[in-house]
Amino acid sequence: MPGIDACLEEAMTLPGALGAAIVDWTSGLALGTAGQSPNGDHEATAAETAELARAAAEYSAFAPPARPPTPAPASRPDGPVPATAPGPRPAPGTATGSAATPAPGSDGDKGPPVEDLIVTTRTGYHILSFVETTFDSSVFLHLWLDRRTGNLALARIRLGQLAERLVLG
Amino acid sequence: MTAGTGNPPGIQSAVSPMLVRLAGERATGALLRDHGTLYLTDGRVVHAESPAAPGIDVLLTRGGRLPREGWEEAVDRAGTRSEVGRFLVDSGRLHDGELEICHLGALFDAAFFALSPGSGPTRFRYGVAHWIGPVRPVSASSVERETVRRRELLDHVWPYAAVDTAPVVARKPAPGQAVTRRQRVLLELADGVRTPVAIAWALGRPAFHTLLDIRRLAAAGLVETPEEPAAASLPTLPAWVTSVSGDPDIALLRRLRDALEASL
Repeated sequence: MPGIDACLEEAMTLPGALGAAIVDWTSGLALGTAGQSPNGDHEATAAETAELARAAAEYSAFAPPARPPTPAPASRPDGPVPATAPGPRPAPGTATGSAATPAPGSDGDKGPPVEDLIVTTRTGYHILSFVETTFDSSVFLHLWLDRRTGNLALARIRLGQLAERLVLG
Repeated sequence: MTAGTGNPPGIQSAVSPMLVRLAGERATGALLRDHGTLYLTDGRVVHAESPAAPGIDVLLTRGGRLPREGWEEAVDRAGTRSEVGRFLVDSGRLHDGELEICHLGALFDAAFFALSPGSGPTRFRYGVAHWIGPVRPVSASSVERETVRRRELLDHVWPYAAVDTAPVVARKPAPGQAVTRRQRVLLELADGVRTPVAIAWALGRPAFHTLLDIRRLAAAGLVETPEEPAAASLPTLPAWVTSVSGDPDIALLRRLRDALEASL
C-alpha cells in the first residue's frame, strides 16, 4: 500500500516517464511531485493541469447521461483487467458496499465520472488519471511521458492501477 | 532559508516572517496565530489547525470513510504517543495514500486561514507536538507560497471577498445555464443562512475549496454577491491604523506588522 512518494516513484519507472505529480484539481495544489515538470515549475504545472482536470470532471459532456437503472457498476467499465490484478477488480465506487447506491442528499458517486485524460503534444504525452477516494476529495495523478520512448497504452493502464492502489492499498 | 528564495516577483513578501525564521532555525513547536496554529518539526510544517477549516477527523468521518468511533479509538490509543496518523494506517483503518492525501488537504487548508493577513500577534511555543504525529511534513516555504497563491486565486476567480463570509444565497440558473455535479451539491446547502465555511463543515470538504467553489458560483451568477464589502469579516488591523488614511500604505503596514511580530 504505497503512499504518495512510493506511488510517484513507481510512476517514474514507466518507460519514457519524465515527470509525475499528484494534484488536487479543486485548488491546484501539488500534493507531491517527482522528476521534471514541462515548464520547470511543478507548482505552476499543477495549477494548469488542475484547471484542465476540473473542466473534464465537471462538464456535462463527459458525465454519464443518467444513472443506469441496473445495479451494474458504472465506473471504470473498460475492458480487460491487466494480469497484475487478480480477478475482476471491484469498481472503486462500490468497494465499500454502502457507496453502491447514490447517497441521499447528493447525487450519486462522489468521484468524477471521468477516468483519465490524455493530452498529446509534439514531444510528449500527458496522462491525468483521477483518483477516487471514499472521502470527499478531488485528486488526480499526472504523468508526463516522452513521446519517443513512452508507451501510452501501458502507461495509461499502469497509472490507473496506481491511482487505485494509492487509496485502496 | 528565506521565503522569497527562487520565487517569482510578487509573492516574495513573507506571509509570516516568524515562520520563515523558525524554519531557518529548524524549530520544533507550535506557531499560534489568531486564526489557527501551525505545528513545526525541525522547521518543517507537520500539521495545521484552524477553527475555520474542518479537521482531518471531519473530512474522514463526514463522508463516511471512517466511523466516528474508529477515529476516537485511534485518538485514545495513540494520541498520547502523538502517533494517531500512524495508528490509523497500522490498524488497517486507512491506507497510506488516503491518510497523506487527506492530511495534506487539511494541513494546507488550515494553514491558509492560520496565515491570513492581519492575524494579530504570533507566538511560538517550543517543543509542542500535535497528537496526529508526523504524516508527510512539508517545507514552510511551500506552505507560504501555496497560501499566497490561494489568496490570489480567489481574487482571480471573483474579486469580491464578501462572498467568503456572507451567508450563501443561491440564484436561479439562467436559461440554458448548466450546473455541475459538485456545484449542485453546494447549492443544495445554500439556504441563505449557512456561510461557505459552514457548508464546508457540513460536506466534510476543505474550507478553502468551498470558498473557491462559492467564488466560482458567484462569478457564474449562481450565488448572490453581497453589496457590502465584508469589512468586519476577519479582524484585520487595529482601527487606529486604518483610520490614519483612507488609502493605507500597504508597505508601511507590512513593515509595522513585521516589526510587531519580530518583537514578540
